[in-house]
Amino acid sequence: METLSSLIMIFIGAALINNFVLHYFVGICPFLGVSKRVDTAFGMGLAVIFVILIASTLSWLFTFFILRPMAPIPVWIWQVAGGNPETTVDLSVLSYIIYIFVIASSVQFVEMYVRKFQPALYESFGVFLPLITTNCAILFACLEIMKNLQDPTMLWGLHEALILALGGGIGFLIAITLMAGIRAELDLCDVPKSLKGAGIALIVAGIMAMAFMGFTGMDRGVEQALSALGSR
Amino acid sequence: MLTFVTVILAAAVLVLLAIAMGWVLGWANRAFYVYVDPKILEIQDALPGANCGGCGYVGCNSYADALGTGADEDLTLCGPGGTSCVGAIAEILGIEVTEVWPYKAVVHCAAKLDERLLKMEYQGEPTCAAANLVAGFQGCIYGCMGLSDCVRVCDYDAIHIVDGVAVVDYEKCTGCKLCAAACPRNIITMVPFKRSEMFVVACSNDDFGKEVQSVCTVGCTGCMSCSRVSDMMVMDGNRPAINYDLYEDFTDFEPILEKCKRSSLIFVGIPTEGQVAAVADEEVPERIEADFQTTVDDTEWRG
Repeated sequence: METLSSLIMIFIGAALINNFVLHYFVGICPFLGVSKRVDTAFGMGLAVIFVILIASTLSWLFTFFILRPMAPIPVWIWQVAGGNPETTVDLSVLSYIIYIFVIASSVQFVEMYVRKFQPALYESFGVFLPLITTNCAILFACLEIMKNLQDPTMLWGLHEALILALGGGIGFLIAITLMAGIRAELDLCDVPKSLKGAGIALIVAGIMAMAFMGFTGMDRGVEQALSALGSR
Repeated sequence: MLTFVTVILAAAVLVLLAIAMGWVLGWANRAFYVYVDPKILEIQDALPGANCGGCGYVGCNSYADALGTGADEDLTLCGPGGTSCVGAIAEILGIEVTEVWPYKAVVHCAAKLDERLLKMEYQGEPTCAAANLVAGFQGCIYGCMGLSDCVRVCDYDAIHIVDGVAVVDYEKCTGCKLCAAACPRNIITMVPFKRSEMFVVACSNDDFGKEVQSVCTVGCTGCMSCSRVSDMMVMDGNRPAINYDLYEDFTDFEPILEKCKRSSLIFVGIPTEGQVAAVADEEVPERIEADFQTTVDDTEWRG
């Protein structure tokens, strides 16, 4: 029960309370760029969920086995090379370069696979894949996972990393679809000339971010509800 | 010692990773090979690759796809690529590009406020669309009303009401056609600017003789004199139109101009350097620029 409730907390936290786009303001480029029509925005959101899951799986693997302090693979290499076993081996400086490298090449790989074997899927969101490979929302999810792997006392498992990624992806989908709906309505409005286009889009994004601040504090309530459920 | 450990291990890890990923991607490239028309690949190389989306496609590659498969036949959508890019794509596709003249707006009315007769006092909504519904706003039912519908739609500040008639600023006009669509009397048309200054018919009145004289002191009476001296002038109802296919840089406009007693034929556009030099000695009235800090602009706030 303890694990389940913590997973639910991670999910809600990533999707609503600390929404990637509207709380941390990462992933703004597709959020503003591809939010003119609801259907393309929805496709972009699905593509982000897809990529973020792949990317966080890989980044959890790489962080757990290579990048965190005293990760097994570098320690093993160090000891085979005859180094002092007492030395702390920490490769977390490499995190950014390895995440970008791994995400970009794995997304390339997935794109080639989808193009060959799932042409219909490629038609619907294959074109978005190269555009979001090194999107900051995805890199942000990886860095969030790394943050939770650096402290040896509370190591995240792969399931927790995946739940965070899923929550973040769904949060992005919610935000960009809402934004596209609002912007479609905005086309019919009499917007002052000086605010047309990007100006009004940024104002809308800011108001949406304020609206999402309403979720702050929800985590404590959900936690209490879950613990009450668990104790019963 | 610590940094030394990190450096050696980092180098080792990165080299191993690069080799592994390179191998996997290289294998995937062959294993998942999909045949793509080589033309599309060439077009992809010719496009800037900025993925700006200005063409209306998601990125450069999807525009290249649309061009290569023939789904889109407009080569000129790429803004950042410019003319050289259009040329390169045309060469790949085997299409010849003809020289394209910029189309710019021309107002086919030049009657100033005091040259238009039979004006009435109008107190309705100050838009041309509304005034056009009212009979007797002014004598001429064809000409410019000067109530700024075209000025309001212009995104480039390129058309203004001067002396009660719309005048295009050709330094700013981009030929977007918005003013032509906004004019309820359809007196703004798009003209191919074969040189910086163009010869145009500045009247839209379709009536004849006395009827025109009674409503306007400069309007075209349909005397047909100009069409007798030049093939370029074609009568369209009771007023001439210019056949711009016959319009050449060296056309001599003097005989045509001399025939027109009503000054309905004028030059519009940006004068050439030679013309500016020819009138340099004459006294030019001082031109007062609008001061944007003190002038109330005509942006309209509604609702």
